[in-house]
Amino acid sequence: MALELVLGILTFLAVAALLGILIYQLMCLSDLEFDYINPFDSASRINKLVVPEIALHVGLSCLYLVFGYWLIFLINVPLIYYHGRLYLEHRHLVDVTEIFTSLNREKMYRLIKLAFYILLFFLAIYRLVEASVHALLDNEHA
Amino acid sequence: MQQQGGNPGLPAEFPHSSTSPAQQRPPYTVPGSIPRPGPPSWQGPPPGTQFRPQGVPQPSSGAPPTLANALSNPISPFQSGSYQRPVAGRPPGPPAVFQPSQPSLGAPPPFQPSTFGGSSQADGSWSPVSNPNSASVGFSPKASSTGGSPFSNVSPVPSTFGGSIPPPPTSSSLGSGFPISSAYPAISTPVTSFPRPPQVASGPGARPPFYAPGPYNLPPTGHQFSSAPPQQPPPSSFGPSPPSFGAPPQFGTPTPPQFGGTAPSQGYYSTGPPPPPPTTPGIYAGEGQQVGSYGAPPLAGGYGGNLQQPAQGLVEDFQSLSLVPLPGSVESAVDPGMLPRPLDSPDDVKSTGTMNCNPRYLRLSTNAMPNSHSLVARWHLPLGAVVHPLAEAPPGEEVPVVNFVGSSIVRCRRCRAYINPYVMFTDGGRRWRCNVCVLLNEVPIEYFCSLDENGRRRDADERPELSCGSVEFVAQTEYMVRPPMPPVYFFLIDVSISAVKSGMLKVAAETIKATLDKLPGFPRTQIGFLTFDSMLHFYNLKSSLMQPQMMVVADLDDPFLPLPDDLLVNLSESRVVVDALLDSLPSLFEKNISIESALGPALKATFMIMSQLGGKLLVFQSTLPSLGVGRLKLRGDDPRIYGTEKEYLLRGSEEQFYKHMAADFSKYQIGVNIYAFGDRYTDLASLGTLAKYTGGQVCYYPGFQAYLHGEKFSYELARDLSRETAWEAVMRIRCGKGIRFSSFHGHFMLRSSDLMALPAVDCDKAFSMQLTLEDTLLTTNTVYFQVALLFTSSTGERRIRVHTMATPVVSDLGEMYRAADVGAIASIMSRLGVDKSMQSKLEDARQTTQQRLHRSLREYRNMFAVQHRTSNRLLFPESLRLLPLYTLAICKNLALRGGYGDTTPDERSAMGFEIMTMSISRLLKLLYPAFFRIDEFLLQGGKGETDFMMGLPKPVPLASERLDPRGAFLLNDGLRFVLWLGKVLPDEFVKQILGPEFAYSPDLSKVALQEHDSILSKRLVAMLRELRKMNPAVYQQCILLRQGEQPREGNLVLGNLVEDQTGGLSGYADWIVQTYRHISQKAS
Repeated sequence: MALELVLGILTFLAVAALLGILIYQLMCLSDLEFDYINPFDSASRINKLVVPEIALHVGLSCLYLVFGYWLIFLINVPLIYYHGRLYLEHRHLVDVTEIFTSLNREKMYRLIKLAFYILLFFLAIYRLVEASVHALLDNEHA
Repeated sequence: MQQQGGNPGLPAEFPHSSTSPAQQRPPYTVPGSIPRPGPPSWQGPPPGTQFRPQGVPQPSSGAPPTLANALSNPISPFQSGSYQRPVAGRPPGPPAVFQPSQPSLGAPPPFQPSTFGGSSQADGSWSPVSNPNSASVGFSPKASSTGGSPFSNVSPVPSTFGGSIPPPPTSSSLGSGFPISSAYPAISTPVTSFPRPPQVASGPGARPPFYAPGPYNLPPTGHQFSSAPPQQPPPSSFGPSPPSFGAPPQFGTPTPPQFGGTAPSQGYYSTGPPPPPPTTPGIYAGEGQQVGSYGAPPLAGGYGGNLQQPAQGLVEDFQSLSLVPLPGSVESAVDPGMLPRPLDSPDDVKSTGTMNCNPRYLRLSTNAMPNSHSLVARWHLPLGAVVHPLAEAPPGEEVPVVNFVGSSIVRCRRCRAYINPYVMFTDGGRRWRCNVCVLLNEVPIEYFCSLDENGRRRDADERPELSCGSVEFVAQTEYMVRPPMPPVYFFLIDVSISAVKSGMLKVAAETIKATLDKLPGFPRTQIGFLTFDSMLHFYNLKSSLMQPQMMVVADLDDPFLPLPDDLLVNLSESRVVVDALLDSLPSLFEKNISIESALGPALKATFMIMSQLGGKLLVFQSTLPSLGVGRLKLRGDDPRIYGTEKEYLLRGSEEQFYKHMAADFSKYQIGVNIYAFGDRYTDLASLGTLAKYTGGQVCYYPGFQAYLHGEKFSYELARDLSRETAWEAVMRIRCGKGIRFSSFHGHFMLRSSDLMALPAVDCDKAFSMQLTLEDTLLTTNTVYFQVALLFTSSTGERRIRVHTMATPVVSDLGEMYRAADVGAIASIMSRLGVDKSMQSKLEDARQTTQQRLHRSLREYRNMFAVQHRTSNRLLFPESLRLLPLYTLAICKNLALRGGYGDTTPDERSAMGFEIMTMSISRLLKLLYPAFFRIDEFLLQGGKGETDFMMGLPKPVPLASERLDPRGAFLLNDGLRFVLWLGKVLPDEFVKQILGPEFAYSPDLSKVALQEHDSILSKRLVAMLRELRKMNPAVYQQCILLRQGEQPREGNLVLGNLVEDQTGGLSGYADWIVQTYRHISQKAS
């Protein structure tokens, strides 16, 4: 049961980190839109976090797989595939030269991902609570 | 249509229209035959002539105005307040100075109608009015046309003006204005702009010069037309309409013709109308009454129309092409002779009043802004602007320079718009209302000036920023983030074996050396060189050296600078060393056998050298980059990729390296121009990215050979180096509330959502942008556009060039179509097409372009389908008569043409880059090249030595049936000349032109045209020289071609005959039929 609890905490932290990254990227984009920062800074800030985000997400999915949460893993497969395709086509980074023309698309893409991560976030919280309750109950039984 | 009104013929037409299609047609043609001479006259010469005379007549105009005023006053809408107001104010006193037009404005608006009606025939009398009014008048009419209400709404202003309007009559005081002009000198900047005042003095005369350069000069052509009619039946049919066309699009002179016909709508372009009347009267004798109607039309929208044009309600408000059923078949066809062509209108630059900037700087796709989303949705064509901020102005029309010594430039606190002629002063001159955002601003104490009784500043005529649509402000230190940079030129030259063998290196070195004295910005200019093959060669140009030192760096993975400085040096100090380097460069690499090209590392090294200052980087590349970062693959030769979803990748950059590099260059104010010379694939799509995002250009010389292309390359390089360049520039276009520019097309990089970064921009670059409505409903009557280009001049001064334009807001789709500018639309559409081809298949790009045409014409047809018989007729607004042709030409342009086999990927890319930077006039020339027979002209010679070009034959339609094996034809598309020699051309003729050694050579691809010792050859060369003078942007090389010489003939001539069936697209006549079918199918 302790293992469940560890997993719950790990996934919770990972999903929270993903959410944080995404919100930060969205902030960069809207700052750019309102002319608070220039496209060079905005693009480099966003791009710095693109690969970590993909890696984190893949890691999280693997965690689910290893611990046998097939369903949740399957939910994540489409996004892994999409990330992989972007990466292989070298389109995963924001293009600073065309950032304004693709601004709306990038924002939409990230908003959809944000919604998806929020879903994961709730699942993770549920898992965490469930695992901790189980752990407590087990302790009492023991 | 209105033109027709002008013609006697019009009245006749009306009935026809109502009667039957068959009859309708005749009306056109009939008038056409007679009018023909007329229409041409309008477009070209007539106006010109009229103008000049007008100057004299002015006084006469003055008198009539009063009457007109009486009429107009009640209809305040006219005045449209804000616009004219300023004007109105002027009339009283100084008006004359800057804007001769304005004085007239005040008075004229009212007058014009009257003047036209009555005195138009008299001759130029009205014309003076038109001139002065130009800007303001134009607007007011528009207002009226729109429903008058818009202007009246102008609220604040109107009231004042209403009162002031009457004063205008006094405008006769123009003369008085002159004294003011003397005041001019007072203005800080002596700039050329001022010359105008004198013109003003001349009154109308002043204007003429303006106009004259443009359409007026044409007069000769006009004559040609008249003479031509016999030869060109087709035009005749259109003849009547053409004038009208010209008019709508053009505010200035061209418009006048329109008025005659469409008085109400045309009212917009008030300026235009005046000119036509004079011509028309002359042309159509006995039409005096009608003429009157002309005059009226402009006003018509408001009121005048009612008086004079009761009958015009019947006139068809559109143009049409009749489709005639083919005998014995279900199909119908169009008489090719009747198709509209731009043969007669050499250039469609129109002038507007001085209140608006000249259209050479800023043109809108329609000069009537829609007021709601639903109107925008029904417009279907691009809605936007084409900006050419540094367009070359003819002598005497340069943009005036304004220097606010000791104070800062007056700008709106909120929207940051610059002060301009449309702002309104209130509160005794202590405050001014921003015309863009309507905010009330304080007038700085240093800038204060009292107002006259009309609410106009007393010093308005002495201040160009209050009287001219285009001004250049000298910016103070708050506009600098660092001291103004000196002009910097850095040359990055490929010295691999192909560059040496083709002679590129030698020509480049010689040209640079010859141009050193002409580089702008002496003595601050800086210069540097770097050459590369498989290694990088740096040159120490320290002024204390006698000979340049060459340092070789072989580390391509991590290039470093062998010296901290002296790689970029002050030209005047190191001139001797630079000369020595350029002298020795060709011989230095004469024996070079390296075939590699390490462009990527060389760019990185260059970036390190230039990032301190910025500047202009010229890259000379003759092979595919093959070493180090940024190496490219041969990817364009694979036919299999065409037609697939990945086809567009060929037209984009393959390597992210170039995009990143371009972003870095732009960030550090480095503009890149690419000169590519490869005889094989060089992946221009990737290399061009560097120019695309840094405001540069791409020059491509496929298969460069010094003896063939040397002259062209040399000219274009020299022009690039010596033309006036604006450094470290940014450009922004502001517009009124509720409208926003949303997408931009051209060579630049966006630094914020509407700020274009242009590290180095020059007079040959134009930009286009599209706008969207943010508010659901625009409540203002007028929208203002203000383009501001902040740059460092070569002399080290920070400057802001500001172009301001006002446009009426309309609620009627018909007005939008009437005011459409086909040149701007074609320009934006071609850029959209090129952009689209970067993201999808060529086929899709062509289809999107075509769909725009279909949708807009269908929408237009639906407006009239109820009241008029429209079967078998393709309807289009006069202003867009050439749109089907230009759309066809865009689809057939090299950039979008065909597929794999039709052209090389490099040439396609180069054309795409070219189109993205071209000005409107050059683009139209490219879309529909001038094509004419020259053998007879060469044999007979021109009309005398002085007017050699006068006898130049008229261009003929671009159809292969025009090619005559017995003749020689010249195709001039603004990028090059193609000389097509017929098969049965007399041997003697060919021999004289080509010289004895090539006269019988079967392959002319390697033959350069040279001047031989024969009269024909001399005339030909002289003719080409004259033609080149008209187009200084590029060197138009003359390519020789013999009939039947394939595949060159197909690529160079036949492929460019737009009216033929080429490149998988139908011919012009079929295109019209297809368009008609498409439209009528969906409509029914």
